[in-house]
Amino acid sequence: MPVETGLEAGTAAKSDKGSSSSVAPILEARGLAMRFDAPEGRISLFESLDLSIDAGDSLAILGTSGSGKSTLLGLLAGLDLPSAGTVVLDRHDLTKLDEDERAVLRSGRVGFVFQAFHLLPGLTALENVMLPAELVVDRHARQRARDALARVGLADRLAHYPAQLSGGEQQRVALARAFITQPGILFADEPTGNLDHRTGAQIIDLLFELNRDHGTTLVLVTHDQAVAERCHHVRYLRDGRLFEAAA
Amino acid sequence: MLALRLLYRDWRGGELRLLALAVVVAVAAVTGVAWLADRVAAGTEARAADLLAADRAVEYPQPIPDEWQQRAQAAGLNTALTATFPTVVLAGDQNRLVSAKAVDDGYPLRGELRIQPDIGAAENRAEGIPEPGTAWLESRLLGLLGLGVGDTLEIGAMTLEVAAVLSFEPDRGQGFGSLAPRLMFNHADLEATELLGPGSRVRHKLLLAGELATAIRFTDALAAEHGNAVEIESPGEQGRGAAEVIDQAKRFLGLAALLTVIVAGVAVLLTVRHYAERQITGVAVMRAMGATRRQVMGLFIGKLLWLGLFAGAAGAALGYALHVAMLALIAELLGTELPPAGWQPLLTGWLTAGAALLGFALPTLSRLRDAPPMRVLRQDLGSHLLRAGAPLLVAAAVIFGLMALQAGDLLVTLSVFGAVVSTLAVLTAVAAGVVYGARAWSRRSGQARLLWLTGFTRRPLTAVIQIVAVGVGLMSLFLLAVVRNDLLSAWQAEIPPDAPNQFLINIQSDEVDGVRQMLTDAGIETRFYPMVRARMTELNGAPVSAEDYDSPQARRLARREFNLSWTGTLQSDNDIVAGDWWGDADSPPPQLSVETEFAEEIGVDLGDRLTFGAGGRSVTAEVTSLREVRWESFNVNFFVLASPGTLDQLPRTWLTSFHLPVVDSHVLNDVIRSYPSVTPIDVTSVLRIVRTIIDQGSSVVELMALLTLAAGVLVLLAALQITGEERRFESALLRALGARGSRIRAMARLEFWLVGAIAGGLAGLAATGAGVVIAEVLFNLDYPFRPVTLVIGALVGLVTVWLAGALGARRYYRASPMRLLREG
Repeated sequence: MPVETGLEAGTAAKSDKGSSSSVAPILEARGLAMRFDAPEGRISLFESLDLSIDAGDSLAILGTSGSGKSTLLGLLAGLDLPSAGTVVLDRHDLTKLDEDERAVLRSGRVGFVFQAFHLLPGLTALENVMLPAELVVDRHARQRARDALARVGLADRLAHYPAQLSGGEQQRVALARAFITQPGILFADEPTGNLDHRTGAQIIDLLFELNRDHGTTLVLVTHDQAVAERCHHVRYLRDGRLFEAAA
Repeated sequence: MLALRLLYRDWRGGELRLLALAVVVAVAAVTGVAWLADRVAAGTEARAADLLAADRAVEYPQPIPDEWQQRAQAAGLNTALTATFPTVVLAGDQNRLVSAKAVDDGYPLRGELRIQPDIGAAENRAEGIPEPGTAWLESRLLGLLGLGVGDTLEIGAMTLEVAAVLSFEPDRGQGFGSLAPRLMFNHADLEATELLGPGSRVRHKLLLAGELATAIRFTDALAAEHGNAVEIESPGEQGRGAAEVIDQAKRFLGLAALLTVIVAGVAVLLTVRHYAERQITGVAVMRAMGATRRQVMGLFIGKLLWLGLFAGAAGAALGYALHVAMLALIAELLGTELPPAGWQPLLTGWLTAGAALLGFALPTLSRLRDAPPMRVLRQDLGSHLLRAGAPLLVAAAVIFGLMALQAGDLLVTLSVFGAVVSTLAVLTAVAAGVVYGARAWSRRSGQARLLWLTGFTRRPLTAVIQIVAVGVGLMSLFLLAVVRNDLLSAWQAEIPPDAPNQFLINIQSDEVDGVRQMLTDAGIETRFYPMVRARMTELNGAPVSAEDYDSPQARRLARREFNLSWTGTLQSDNDIVAGDWWGDADSPPPQLSVETEFAEEIGVDLGDRLTFGAGGRSVTAEVTSLREVRWESFNVNFFVLASPGTLDQLPRTWLTSFHLPVVDSHVLNDVIRSYPSVTPIDVTSVLRIVRTIIDQGSSVVELMALLTLAAGVLVLLAALQITGEERRFESALLRALGARGSRIRAMARLEFWLVGAIAGGLAGLAATGAGVVIAEVLFNLDYPFRPVTLVIGALVGLVTVWLAGALGARRYYRASPMRLLREG
């Protein structure tokens, strides 16, 4: 049974999977709330969420459709601002930064993997992977992108456009894109949601391999219990509250 | 009604605004031209009798005999006399060439004269005509002479007092070609001016009004008695020259409007495709719930008809405003009042809206009836529905049909259609070359350039469409605004600085020596040319009639008197290209030399025998040579030259030309005071007037070009709308990956700059290219290719597309990166 928790994932939940790290958290959220105005009045998606994760750790957020887990992921990554509360990413309080300052903070430091892959259709696999590196003006973007694609097993697909790739291959390109800038933290939103079970499993294997190789912190949103269990820490989001997974 | 309700919902959702705007622009172009042409043409027809100021008029090269007037009055007709001639008036040290008109009591027999008691005062219907000893002047003439009401001026040997400002005269003509301002005075003063020498350029007219049959009997009798010497004018003929000009202008403007319709049609094609794509699921749901294909079709046809009704009305309203603006631009050229606007152009507007929507939109929308109901379960079904070329073929057919309607001639339609299609093809090819070239280059060079060029090269097809659409609009604008100006300047630059700028015409034979002496005293050495005004009456013994010719110019030449001369020596700016020159022999046999283009126009060749008649006498001679003339020398030249002695039978005057620096203009005043019937023509001011007319005429066409550009901008916005989703997604993704807003906006800006600069640069290039061709082929001018037009074009295009793009795409770049998660 999930147990409601106000404790930090990295410190209090060591028992989850036995993380040994005790350094300052790379990501910390306090009193996080998200509310929307709807025709029937103000709706609260969640209130007073606290969360924290140490560098190099991995955290899975589980929840049903519409529970608000993707919104929570977006707030943690600084894609949007919460209605209340603070998010501190890499020692920067995101809620005190404007849209552009948050973008600059993300560039090179934050990687993303989306459920719908979100590759630009007019760019080749290589160009899609180069994109984040070019945003931080990396002179070796092209070589790095080649290496990253080779790492995910797509060395022979460099000049392919997304439409010429299978779903699994597209998500591998997305993984290569996420890791090319060697980000400190990676946010993954249902990375296997659009894939069949077998391909999904391969992608998850790859994701955790890359995560391990680069020492990246991972925050992953999923509704797949098996995927979640591969993370150091697991949280359930239900009825606007965050519960710690039962052991 | 369901269609209307759904249309309203689509409208509120912003789905159809661009589509409607495109239809509005197309309808505005067509109705604007229709209203303009209708009113100007109706003005010409309805006032045909007014334009003659009579029911019939008799023109005679000599003063109208009193006996004619008495006979006409005895037959129960009202009569009035007029005499019109160019002359120079003097006021202090100012002199001006005017078109003087002497009128007698009863004028005008049809229509009315209107005058103002003073400049700027209210206009009244004139009771009567100028009193003897007074004159009425057009306000611009008063301005030119620096005179006011009450001042005096000299005309020939007579001094007249300005009694009123002449503001309207029914038979002034349409103004096309009547360049000199009007001075009107009493016929009783005509003798006293002493301007009626032999061979002078006075057109005497007897105006007749009354029972039409009586008038026709009377004029028929006169024609029978006096043959070619009298010319009978009826209202229809009077307006014919103007009607021909109006008809040509209408066709030209109609085709210009069609260019707007074509570009707007592209916008319709793009927006409707986008709209249809978003309707597939809805239609699939309707079909799943039991709607038949016929019901689906009916619904969309209903929507289009309602949309056509509203957009057609709005477009017609804009077209009405447009024609008012165009009328204001050419008010000076028109010179007459026009009848109120009719309602037919509104109908034309609805027909255009219908044609645009049914031709450009329906073929795409009609495919929706095949939306598979299974799509409600599988979203991928039916996505291929709109991928078909048929709508493009239908659109091309509709454009061809509209052109045929507008041009009214299959050959013209084919050539205009061919010209439009090949212009578009060339523009498209070059634009595609640039865009795909940039794409390949950015791919190869890698690095950050990829990012900067991404929007432009990632959507090469929409980039090409935008470039071509905006390019066509800019091209027509540049052709009118820049190239026309350049052509005029190139033409003026070709005139040598010491080219003759003054002509003295109407010099009587016994005045030649005196005038020559006065000029010599002023240090001006010049040559005098004899000039005979005659009408070409027979060609190889057969009577010449204007109706035998197709081209308006040939008809004019056949109808009017023109100038002949004789000489023994060929001028250096003339070259014999066929036959032989008669040489300097003392008395060669009667023969003629004809200018080549003139010969071609009226269908004359070597060996033909031409008969010329003037003042009741005629002369016949054979064409023995054809000449090419370099008109740009600005020397005196003639279409037809005769060997010395050939034209001795006919009355003649003399003319001369010379270059006169402005400071010496008192010489002219001296000559005019000594020889009042001599008429000076100041070429510089004529050139200025010609330029004004060209400027006014082309400002109307420029308005049309602006509409084409507006349609081009709509295509740009339509293309932005189509790529809007893609832009939103791109913007969100780049933001998520860490790009600043300024960087994303800079990328979009660069894309607009590139599209605009390429479109404008191509338009400038095409316009200058067209300018070079026009200059070389039509006008034989040296027109240097000016790269600066390309640069100006690129800048104008850049700013236009930048502004339009920033306006149209602004909302796409505010996308929150959160949507990437929500859409996952």
